Amino acid sequence: MESLSFLESKKLLEKYKIPFVKTKLCISKKEALDFAKSVGFPVALKISSSEILHKTDVGGVKLGIETEADLGKAWDEIQKVVKQKVPKVKLEGILVQEMVFGREIALGMKRDAIFGPVLMFGLGGIFVEVLKDVVFRVAPVDKKEAKNMITQIKGFEILKGFRGQEKVNLEKLTEIITRFSKLSLLEKDLKEIDLNPIMANEKGSYILDARFLL
Amino acid sequence: MISKIKKLNRIFNPRTIALIGAIDRPGSVGLGLCKNLLEGEMAREIFFVNPYYKKVLGKNTYPFVTSITKPVDLAIIAVPSEIVPRVIKECCEKGVGGIIIISSGFAETGESGKKLQEEVLGLTKEANILLIGPNCLGVIRPFIKLNASFAPATPKAGEIAFVSQSGALIDSVVDRSLLENYGFSNLISYGNEADLQLSDFLEWLEKDEKTKVIGVYLEAIKDGKRFMQVARKISKPIVILKAGKTKSGAQAVSTHTAALAGTWEVYSAVFKQLGMIEVETTEELFDALKALAWQPKCKGGVGIVTNGGGYGVLIADFCEKFGIELPELKPEILKRLESSKAMHPAFSRKNPLDIVGDALPERYDVALDTLLSQKEIGGLIVVQTFQIMTDTISDAKVIIKAKAKYPQKPILCMFVGGKFTNPGIELLEKNKIPNYSDPKRTVLAMKMLVNY
Repeated sequence: MESLSFLESKKLLEKYKIPFVKTKLCISKKEALDFAKSVGFPVALKISSSEILHKTDVGGVKLGIETEADLGKAWDEIQKVVKQKVPKVKLEGILVQEMVFGREIALGMKRDAIFGPVLMFGLGGIFVEVLKDVVFRVAPVDKKEAKNMITQIKGFEILKGFRGQEKVNLEKLTEIITRFSKLSLLEKDLKEIDLNPIMANEKGSYILDARFLL
Repeated sequence: MISKIKKLNRIFNPRTIALIGAIDRPGSVGLGLCKNLLEGEMAREIFFVNPYYKKVLGKNTYPFVTSITKPVDLAIIAVPSEIVPRVIKECCEKGVGGIIIISSGFAETGESGKKLQEEVLGLTKEANILLIGPNCLGVIRPFIKLNASFAPATPKAGEIAFVSQSGALIDSVVDRSLLENYGFSNLISYGNEADLQLSDFLEWLEKDEKTKVIGVYLEAIKDGKRFMQVARKISKPIVILKAGKTKSGAQAVSTHTAALAGTWEVYSAVFKQLGMIEVETTEELFDALKALAWQPKCKGGVGIVTNGGGYGVLIADFCEKFGIELPELKPEILKRLESSKAMHPAFSRKNPLDIVGDALPERYDVALDTLLSQKEIGGLIVVQTFQIMTDTISDAKVIIKAKAKYPQKPILCMFVGGKFTNPGIELLEKNKIPNYSDPKRTVLAMKMLVNY
């Protein structure tokens, strides 16, 4: 299965007003530095290649980079390790990304042969794989159904701000789910989507990584 | 053009039926069909078609369906699959109202069977005739004495419609039901659903006055979009048992979503979205259907009345587990119970209301009537353990009386015991008050009435 490049993915999300965290695809250290300064430290570096499924598995992710010097080091290290681990993979560059904090969630879609786009919502990041705390709905999903999805995961308490932790803006999250539903219905060429992780906090929810398969 | 519903009406209310492949060879499907169809001979005319026998079960046969002069509302085909296309052509020529193909040997067997099925479907589509099957058991409608199937018997008439992709499952369900008190409005086995699909039957059952609740045994949905469209419009409760819940989705998946969205997850999501009740076992299926067929929705919490403390606690535990609220008894309710003089001094004074082992019918009477009068209590679970002084028939009568006084509040019973208890259970269920044999089953059935 083919997948969309970073730029194509970003453009597609923009089309449906699904916010992607401030990110730039850089091909030089200088470019990366300039962007990091403009969004402000800390930043994250992530390898960009449509051929790499799990960026962390190939040593392609560095988080919480605080200084210019650290950024330089991280840049070199990613280049080195990724080339060692997957020498044949075609690289698009390295993504420089503003660090956003909050609860990690995931949104996904699988086009089912019988029912059409099936949407998934749940706790994101590594929790998707370990806890599998997810719910499914067949698109279209309206506002009410999107709210049901959010409240029906076991970890809903975590999103509500468990024991003084930051609450998640549920209105914004609901909106993203309904927009994602629209995207899934209209972009008929897409077979699978992972928006994971999505960082959700009091202000909103921001996509940190997206994977669109054709 | 005549609407699908109207055509289905003709198939389901046939004034004439032709059985093609009528035979009286012992142990044959054809014989089963002959016998079952003849049960309804008073209600309609039955024609046996078989070019090789002059008589079947003493009845004159017709060599071809086209030899019948009267119109044929329903043609049932039970001949070897390779002859089916020829028979279908004759049915089309005759202009029958609808067709059920009982015969197997079609898409379920592989490529050549699939082609044969397509050929048959092409013929019926061209002739604009609706088709049920192939590879199915047939249709049973006890209210009009229609048994167009080779099921072992005709079940009692009742409120439950059961639609099944598996025919064998219906056979067992029918046999089982003969020992139970529930009955059926319709049993539809739809096999390979070459033409008419589950959605069509659901649409028709929504309009069928005798059907209060629909049970479905499902292996796969053919047209997901249509199924969702139709199911959204069905107001009757649908309880569904889905087989083939293979664990994961595709093997070589590349997103987490695809890895997690296996067949089971997708179907369960669909059922949830459509407000259908999904169950995991045939026991749960019929426990739920019985409750939904006989009792109204439970609006509010549940009160428990028991003459055995232990069962009261077990039921309360399951209520908590399944999210069923047990409202506290109001002070005025407790006062009424105290001042009734009917209670044992040691009665529990809370919900579950333990009215103590030596409870006679009068005590049940007071307890039921008092608890049902509390607004927060939307329904009751009544437990009877069998003690030496227990009068099970009178207890059942008291419950039937309470039910008549509060028709909008469901009552489910758990009369537990055997020989001495059964007469009470029979009386309850004859009056459409479901009885279950253990706490979990009882509470699960109540959950259906609370949630659907």
